[in-house]
Amino acid sequence: MSEGVRTPPNGGGFRFKVRAPRDFYGGLALIALAIVAIWTSGDLPGTHGFAFGPGTAPRLFAGLLAVVGALVALTGLFFDGPPIESYAIRGPAWVLLAILAFAGMIRGLNLGPLTIPPLGLVPSTFAAFMISIFGSTEMRWLESLIAAVAMTAFCVGLFVYLLQLPFQLWPWV
Amino acid sequence: MSELLANLALGFSVAANPYNIGFCLLGALVGTLVGVLPGIGTVATVAMLLPITFGLPPVGALIMLAGIYYGAQYGGSTTSVLVNIPGEATSVITCLDGHQMARQGRAGAALSIAAIGSFFAGCVSTVLVAALGVPLTSIALLFGPAEYFSLMLLGLIFAVVLAKGSVLRSIAMVLTGLLLSMVGSDLETGAGRMTFDIAELSDGIGFTNVAMGLFGFAEIIRNLEMSQESRDIVKGKISGLMPTRQDLIDSSGAIARGTIMGSLLGILPGGGAVVASFAAYTFEKRISKHPERFGHGAIQGVAAPESANNAAAQTSFIPLLTLGIPPNAVMALMVGAMTIHGIVPGPQVMTKQPELFWGMIASMWLGNLMLVVINLPLVGVWVSLLRVPYRLLYPSIIVFCCIGIYSINNSPTDVVIAAIFGLFGYWLNKHDFEPAPLVLAFVLGPLMEENLRRAMLIARGDATVFLTRPISAGLIAVAAGLLVIAALPMIRKRREEVFVE
Repeated sequence: MSEGVRTPPNGGGFRFKVRAPRDFYGGLALIALAIVAIWTSGDLPGTHGFAFGPGTAPRLFAGLLAVVGALVALTGLFFDGPPIESYAIRGPAWVLLAILAFAGMIRGLNLGPLTIPPLGLVPSTFAAFMISIFGSTEMRWLESLIAAVAMTAFCVGLFVYLLQLPFQLWPWV
Repeated sequence: MSELLANLALGFSVAANPYNIGFCLLGALVGTLVGVLPGIGTVATVAMLLPITFGLPPVGALIMLAGIYYGAQYGGSTTSVLVNIPGEATSVITCLDGHQMARQGRAGAALSIAAIGSFFAGCVSTVLVAALGVPLTSIALLFGPAEYFSLMLLGLIFAVVLAKGSVLRSIAMVLTGLLLSMVGSDLETGAGRMTFDIAELSDGIGFTNVAMGLFGFAEIIRNLEMSQESRDIVKGKISGLMPTRQDLIDSSGAIARGTIMGSLLGILPGGGAVVASFAAYTFEKRISKHPERFGHGAIQGVAAPESANNAAAQTSFIPLLTLGIPPNAVMALMVGAMTIHGIVPGPQVMTKQPELFWGMIASMWLGNLMLVVINLPLVGVWVSLLRVPYRLLYPSIIVFCCIGIYSINNSPTDVVIAAIFGLFGYWLNKHDFEPAPLVLAFVLGPLMEENLRRAMLIARGDATVFLTRPISAGLIAVAAGLLVIAALPMIRKRREEVFVE
């Protein structure tokens, strides 16, 4: 019997106490990832005679991942560890939004009700810069605008003129 | 010997082409420029700058990439010394004494010793790469699928052992990386695997997307979260760039020992540069007559790890060029670049494209020379770059990364995938999972699977083939031994924790 598990005095089975949440929930998430992988690769043919099928390796590694994930989760039950740090919302949200805006604007987007025409490199870069600015609590309008213009000019100069990569620059070109 | 000289001569004739020297210089310059930015490590720098080499001829592109790599690494050291922010694991050690030296007003000496040490290490290891290239390529001929698989396994175990967190967590990361690498079409049958019927995933997840997401975007998100602590930038003018005669005498032994250690450890797959810099520092401290000076600005504490990590960075090209196996994440990016130029890394590169192989080796030396030439006079420029506030720096990095990713395939989906990996990397960080083993496994995944399948097919389904072939068995034994050594202290510690209760 492992010393880590405490059986409650009234003896109603195990009462699990998560002692290292980082390990426990991290491990659980890995198990979930493994299950998704096994589920999506479930219809692929497996080993056929001596030959591995396309599904063999994914299922093999997913199975191993599930086992290791379970071990990580178990250590979270038996050993003390630090709590999960709180997640910030502001930084990740604005950064994500900026990247998605760039991806949506550069070549245009047609996603159901959301339609964006292809806007080209200049507006996309400028917009992504200005959106990501909000991720920090220290933003200043004028400074950011100047920096956004400068960075856009730099990127156009580098990628389009110096490196000669094919980019649509403006919405109308 | 004469053959070696002839080969080197061929290499230098390629590298000394004015265009190639230009590419090398430009690469080293841009690499340093980006590498100096705090919070951007070598992998992120190389990943970000990869697209700008696509338009060049293959030799020029690889020479420029090598230049970027050295520049990025040197840039990381500069940040360590001046701001005490290591760009990545290899320059953590440099912070210890380098930053102390900077606070004592000797930043110039620290930086120049780092450059001189790196240059010396680069000279020695370039010769080593040239000398070992040919014999190692013949070893590669002895390697069958089973040996390749075992070697890559060893590389992954190295990455696990060297990672910061627990062994179990790193193994989990390796498995996650292997799994992610299998998304896309199956190599042999073309069947779509784990693609969720998304057309863009049928070619697999691009390596640059994963690397930029995990190392670029995730890092930014994480940095934003930290309160903008006053960065400890060394203020004032950096004077006395040249080290004194005494500095040179003091550090010469450390440079030589660091070079030897780095060259040897760099050949090993799985991130030798990190362990090399740690090992060199510890060794110097142990043999020093004044170990108490370490951590308080001992010049040997800068010279040894800097020489070691540069030597290791150089010799880590050996497994890539001879066996076609990338030993770390940066080399994995090199594989990506080579593939884009239609070069399959491996033993055949040396025989089929000698000008590429030897040209690249010669350009390594040139790259190191460039570092000394450009960095000593430009230290002032790098310092002013460090004064750019983070609130303006991170949006610039974001848009630069976005454009870079998009330009590789002209695909907005790639940008979105990188964003997803950015969030994933943020989550990994919250749970103390390290991304480095994941990235290495992601790169080795397809190669490993291919060789595993071939080995099993040749052995008619007999899995013991990995233990019955001597080279393979030896590699597996080393891997198992490493794993046990790494796991033991952890188990012991955990047991003690348990017994304390």
